[in-house]
Order: sequence, then structure tokens, then C-alpha cells
Amino acid sequence: MRETLTAALGTVLRAIAGLLGVSLIAFPIIRVMPADPAAVAIRAWNLPATDEVARGLRQEWGLDLPFYRQYLHWIGRFVLGDWGVSFRTGLPVLRELLHRLPLSLGIGVGALGVAVALAVPLGFLAARRPAGLVDRLSRVLAIAAKAIPSFWLGLALLWLLAVRWRVLDPLNENAGLVALAVVLVAFTSLGTLARVYRRGLIEAERQPFFRAALAKGLPPETVLWRHGHRHAACALLASLRAEAGWAIGGAATVEVLLGLPGISQFLVQSVAARDYFVLQAYVMVVAMWMIAINAAIGLSFPLLDPRLRSTGERS
Amino acid sequence: MIRALTWRRLALASLAVFVGAMALGCLWQPYDPAAVDLPVRHAPISAAHPLGTDHLGRDLLSRLMVGGARTLMVLLAVTAIGSFGGTLIGTAAALAGSWVEIVVLRLAELPIVLPTLVVALAASAVFGLTPLTAGIALGLAGLGPYALMAHSLACGILAQPYMEAARGLGLPLPRQLLHHLLPNMLPVLLTQLGGNCGQSIVAYASLAFLGVGADTSTPDWGAMLFEYRPFIFDDPRLMLLPGLAIALPVTLISVLIDA
Repeated sequence: MRETLTAALGTVLRAIAGLLGVSLIAFPIIRVMPADPAAVAIRAWNLPATDEVARGLRQEWGLDLPFYRQYLHWIGRFVLGDWGVSFRTGLPVLRELLHRLPLSLGIGVGALGVAVALAVPLGFLAARRPAGLVDRLSRVLAIAAKAIPSFWLGLALLWLLAVRWRVLDPLNENAGLVALAVVLVAFTSLGTLARVYRRGLIEAERQPFFRAALAKGLPPETVLWRHGHRHAACALLASLRAEAGWAIGGAATVEVLLGLPGISQFLVQSVAARDYFVLQAYVMVVAMWMIAINAAIGLSFPLLDPRLRSTGERS
Repeated sequence: MIRALTWRRLALASLAVFVGAMALGCLWQPYDPAAVDLPVRHAPISAAHPLGTDHLGRDLLSRLMVGGARTLMVLLAVTAIGSFGGTLIGTAAALAGSWVEIVVLRLAELPIVLPTLVVALAASAVFGLTPLTAGIALGLAGLGPYALMAHSLACGILAQPYMEAARGLGLPLPRQLLHHLLPNMLPVLLTQLGGNCGQSIVAYASLAFLGVGADTSTPDWGAMLFEYRPFIFDDPRLMLLPGLAIALPVTLISVLIDA
């Protein structure tokens, strides 16, 4: 119990350190940008273009302070939930993003869930007979998933479903479009995850516990099914980290393609308006999602592998 | 065994031809890629236009070649920054040891919470999307993972008896590194490089498709797919060929590095 608490505390501390690190990357964005945010805001909101107004805006956003004070100003307000105002919509960035987050999280988590749920049986069937039919198919799938951009596949599927078979309404946001988005993002990860699971299972076959189970007289397939999964699941979790990153980036193109109002679509729309507060906030939100996934993965390793429990720490 | 080898040779030869065509796109195209020629719009594949023309009568092969040249520029930047830089940093950390090693490793872990594509998206939003900005952003985002990998690889090799022998014989450090460390790191590094190049091709196409901060008239493969989107019904060739231009090199690389 105490070990679990220590591990949880360590995870939280690492998460805060990681977020602070990312904030140091996200913050200079507003400093290196080619345009002055006050000038952008004056144009976007049709304010009188006087020096007084510009000075007032800069003061409000802390842009007249020295660099390190600017950072403190920004991070302080960020922690308190004041993420600035969108130049384009005129609404607080926090509210805009919170409003759109459920959809993006749903697509991301749903896609990773679907990918894992399909990768496990596919990896198992491939590992049961290496170089067999399923194994070769999963290899082709892994290569295709890497090579075919999800937006290209999305266009082709949209054409088939909406135009050829007329089973999908491509113009309004509906459950069918969200399901299509989940499938598209899942497809990209499925190939890699299935290969990782297969490799994990094949590695499990070389472990002493595997041979012990065979020596007990169990048929090889039963042993693989009963004792291989835990071992392979660790490998799967480790590679899920990288896939989570691609799920977010890939989701951006899918959201734009299908017209789904998620956070990535909001970002892409905001860029043309030079909406830098949205950009900063977006980077932070993505970092939080990645840190949450990393923490969840890190905490579930000891659940899967009892050997990691004794120390409560994973190097 | 022989069959697998033949496949790999075939993949390598095709990849060489493809990259050659991409490189040629920097210098020469059969037509001006921006020349509008309305009378021959949607021309099918013919001797005059080897891959046909698009909805404005522009030669598709010329546009694909320019897109290839731009993609190649991205790959060069990604390789120079991510692979060379990351390998140097990781190896140097392994050689330096002590607190330098710890600091470098902690820093290298940091960008892992920022997905590559998001870094590139943010960078192109601020600086505009050109092959150079995208390549630099993708390269910088890959720096951390590369450094971590090169570090663990170098640590493993530095502990080998033959490295100890090289040190014991009093070989100068550059010779130790170039003749004994590098050749043993190379297979893994090349595999990583291949995977990274494949990812970068798709990532750059995604960025161009999103059109964040990009000039939409530039013939990037991703931007072409976005532009030709409405013609998926009437002229699927316009969607198929840029899609193939993206998928083909990535597939060939995967076949080559997936032993």
C-alpha cells in the first residue's frame, strides 16, 4: 500500500515537472511570433488603433514586463484558469477548449481502445503460427497503416460510405462521423500494436515460466493464451505511449477532414487568425493528455507484472 | 531466404529510382508545375502528359516531382537535425558519463510528452509551413528519442570486451569511435532512420493537407490531396497518384527495415 502511494506521488511530481518543462517550450511561442498580439487583437475586435489601447492590452497580458516576469504572469494566470481570450471568437480560450475536449478525448481514447481490443487477438493469432497466414496479414497491415495517411483513407471511406452507399451523412456532425474518426485513428495504431503484441508473446515463449507451464503438460496454445498475455501486455503498454502521441496528431487531420469540432480543428481554424493564446493553450492541453497517459501506463505496469511490485519503482 | 533477399533488392532499387525522381524534381520538371492549360484539363495518362493533368490542366507528373523535391528537403533537415544531432548528443552523453549524462537524459525525455506532429503543427502555425520549418520542427521533435536510443546503444557497445581492448591498446579516441563504435551502432541507427523518414513523409503530408500557415498553391503531396478532394468522384486518378506518392516510399522503407 505504501509503495503504491509512493509510486503515485512520484508520478504526480513527475507530471508537474513535465508540465512546467512544456510550459517553458509553449511560452516563448508568443515571443517569437512574427506579429504583435495587441495589434492582432485590435484588428480582430475592431478596437480603435491608438497607442493607448495597444498599451492597455499589452499591460493586461503582461507583455510590457521583463521576460521572466512575463512567464510568471502567464503561468500564474494559466494555473488559475485564465487562459486568455480567443481573438477569433472573442470567448475565453479555456471555455472553448473545455467545450471541445470531450469529443477529442472520446475519439482519442475510443481509438486507442479499439486498437488495443483488436491488436490483442490479432497479435495472438499471429504469434500462434509465426509466418502463417494471419502473421503475414498482420505484417501487411502494419506496413499499410504506416504508409497510408489517415486523411487519405478517410477521404476514400467518406466517398464509399457517403456517396456510393449513402449510409453516412457527411455534412452534419453525427455518431456515424465520430465512429468513422475512431476507426481511422485506430487503424493507424492497430498495425504497430498487433506486431508489438505478437513479439511480446513470442518473447514470453522463451521465459522460464513458460517452459514450466509446458512441462506441466498443458498444450502450447493454452499456455500461450493463459500465461503469455501478461508478458505481452507490458510490451503493448510501453508502445501505447508513442501511439497516443500519434493518435492526437493524426486526430487533427481526421477532425478537419470530417468537420468534427474537436480541439485540433479549433487550433487549425485559429492559426489563420494568428490566435496565439489558443496555440499556447493547445500545446499545454496536449501535454496534459500525454502526461496523463504516461502516468496511467506507468501505474499499470506493477498491476500486470508482480515482479515490479516489490520495489514500487520502474526504471 | 533467397526470396526475401530478392524482395529487399527489388525494394531498394525501386526506392533508389523513386528518390532519384524526387531529387530530379529540384532541378527539372517536364512542364512548368504552375502552368495552367485549361483546354487539356483532366487529361488522361498519355505520352504528352505521362500522369495526365489536373482540373486546371497542370501537368500532374511535374507537380508530383516538385512535391517530391520539397518532401526530400524535409527529410534532409529531419535527418541532419534528428538523426545526426541526436546520435551525437546521445553518444557524447554515454562517453561523458557523470552528471552530464544524467542532465542530457532528463532533457531528452522531456519532449516525449509533446507529440512530434503537434510540435510541427505549432511551429508551422508560428513560422508558416515551408519544407525547412517543417523539417526543422520534425527534426527537433525527434532529437530526444534519438539521443535516448543512441545513448543506450552506445552504453551497451562501450561495455563490450572489444571496446575495452581498443582502449587498452591505446588507440586514439577518434579511431575508437569511427572504427569500433560507429560500425556497431549503424544497423540499429539505420533502422531508426528509415522508420523516422517514413513517419516524416506522412507527417509533412498531414501538415500540408491541414494547410496550416501554408501557401495553398504549392504542390506539396498533402496540399494536392486537399486541393483535389472535390474530384474524388469524377477523376479518382487525382486522389490516387499523390496518395501513392506518399504510400510508396513509406512502404518500400518499411519492407527494407522490417527484417
